[in-house]
Amino acid sequence: MQTNTINKTNISTARSISIQSFLARYRYWIMFLSILLFLPPLSFLFQLTQDSNFCGTWCPRMFFVWRKGMTGQQFLLGMSRSYVGVALVFGMIFSSLFLGRYWCSHLCPVGGVMELGSKVIPKRLKINYKFVPASYFRYGYLSIFFLTPLLGIGSLCCNYCNFATIPRIFGAAFSQADMAYFLRTAGLLNLALVVVLGFFARGGRAYCNLLCPLGALDAIANKIGTRLGKRMQIDGQICNGCSACMDACPTWAIQGTDKAIIDQLACVPCGLCATRCPIGAISYGKSKT
Amino acid sequence: MNLKKWGFFALAVGISMLAAIYRWGDSAHSIGQIAVSGGGARHAAFLTTGWDRYNLIATGTVIPPFQGDVKVVLEGKPEMDYEIFASGPVIDLKLRRLPKFRDNTLFDLHPMDRLALWVLMRPPVLDPVCGMSRRDHFIQHSHHGNTYHFCSQKCLQIFLSNPEEYRTRDFVTGKYTLGLYDVKSGKRVANYPIVFGGSEQDANKHHQ
Repeated sequence: MQTNTINKTNISTARSISIQSFLARYRYWIMFLSILLFLPPLSFLFQLTQDSNFCGTWCPRMFFVWRKGMTGQQFLLGMSRSYVGVALVFGMIFSSLFLGRYWCSHLCPVGGVMELGSKVIPKRLKINYKFVPASYFRYGYLSIFFLTPLLGIGSLCCNYCNFATIPRIFGAAFSQADMAYFLRTAGLLNLALVVVLGFFARGGRAYCNLLCPLGALDAIANKIGTRLGKRMQIDGQICNGCSACMDACPTWAIQGTDKAIIDQLACVPCGLCATRCPIGAISYGKSKT
Repeated sequence: MNLKKWGFFALAVGISMLAAIYRWGDSAHSIGQIAVSGGGARHAAFLTTGWDRYNLIATGTVIPPFQGDVKVVLEGKPEMDYEIFASGPVIDLKLRRLPKFRDNTLFDLHPMDRLALWVLMRPPVLDPVCGMSRRDHFIQHSHHGNTYHFCSQKCLQIFLSNPEEYRTRDFVTGKYTLGLYDVKSGKRVANYPIVFGGSEQDANKHHQ
């Protein structure tokens, strides 16, 4: 009986390790596939709903914002207009509670473009945003994201949106409508944000970590679900504080001096830390504490 | 309490607040409806005078039972150069029917179709005295580092007699409209008001 239980546990752990190692090993390929399916010139997934980008049915960033003077019916209409975006956000949050932020680390084509794009920028030109306490900055931004439309004094969505910018960077080479997005000050500013906080950021994820409202919501789900589901975690008894993982982390989620600690408000399960750890102290699994 | 952390929180709040409140006067987004009874926009698009190029994003939904082709026209005086582009996939995989856009006309609109039009507008430079659009023969005159264009010596003299009165009148101001017309009946099926200059209150006056 005991042997059976041990075997089942071992099989389950082995399966988990093999899925995790697959996801870690092929992460860039998964990101590339997501970019191919979402973004121009193919825009395959958008075309399933008569769309060509994230704006409209697929918008995952506007439906949860309450504008001053809005009625409940208008709020629900906004949700029905962006029904795929609603499904995307709820699916993302639900999966993050139990599995961690795989949307952010593997599937998001927008984050994927910025991270992969940052790979072609020479390291000496990159900006290390580690000096910014990401959670504080992110939730300062998110509070204004919600507050200004509520008070009716302005809005960050969709004036500043990398989900609008990135697909149009790809589309601009082919489509005048996509090019038109950049023929205005706000479009150029969005492009600058993507370049400075994405392509030129060390790890390519500063935009995701500081200015993505979806990432901010997803991070809360990740934190809340820490004990419910599986996360990247460091075995404190093995860790020798060498800091190799801290240098590898694209969202500067690992801190500590003697022992490394993962901040689940910033971690995406990219697995880069685990591959860099020389003594195998980092793994993906259920919380042991 | 960690000052650095809360300092960055305050910084994010400050920058985000500024970004959210500040309006870029060269572009606007207008949301509307296309309907048989004459659709409209949720509110007027407000643009600031003084830019040499403007960019309006007009999005809309086709309200049943409207179906057909729609001509898109920018209306207003003085006439403005403009181009209109419609968002759509680069490669149409033909997974779903999509309205087509060419020659400023949307073809084959069906009920509940959604459209996104990008309108690039280039306003003419005006004679600040008589308001005529600049032409080749106009007289150039510099005043406080700005170049003005006049249709005749008479307008130039009027300007010189009281430059403070006229020096800000060389840009287009007032109300324009992006009108969508049913090709079959000629009836207007949508109307996106665009206001150049003035104030936020001016824009609100044009609410539909």
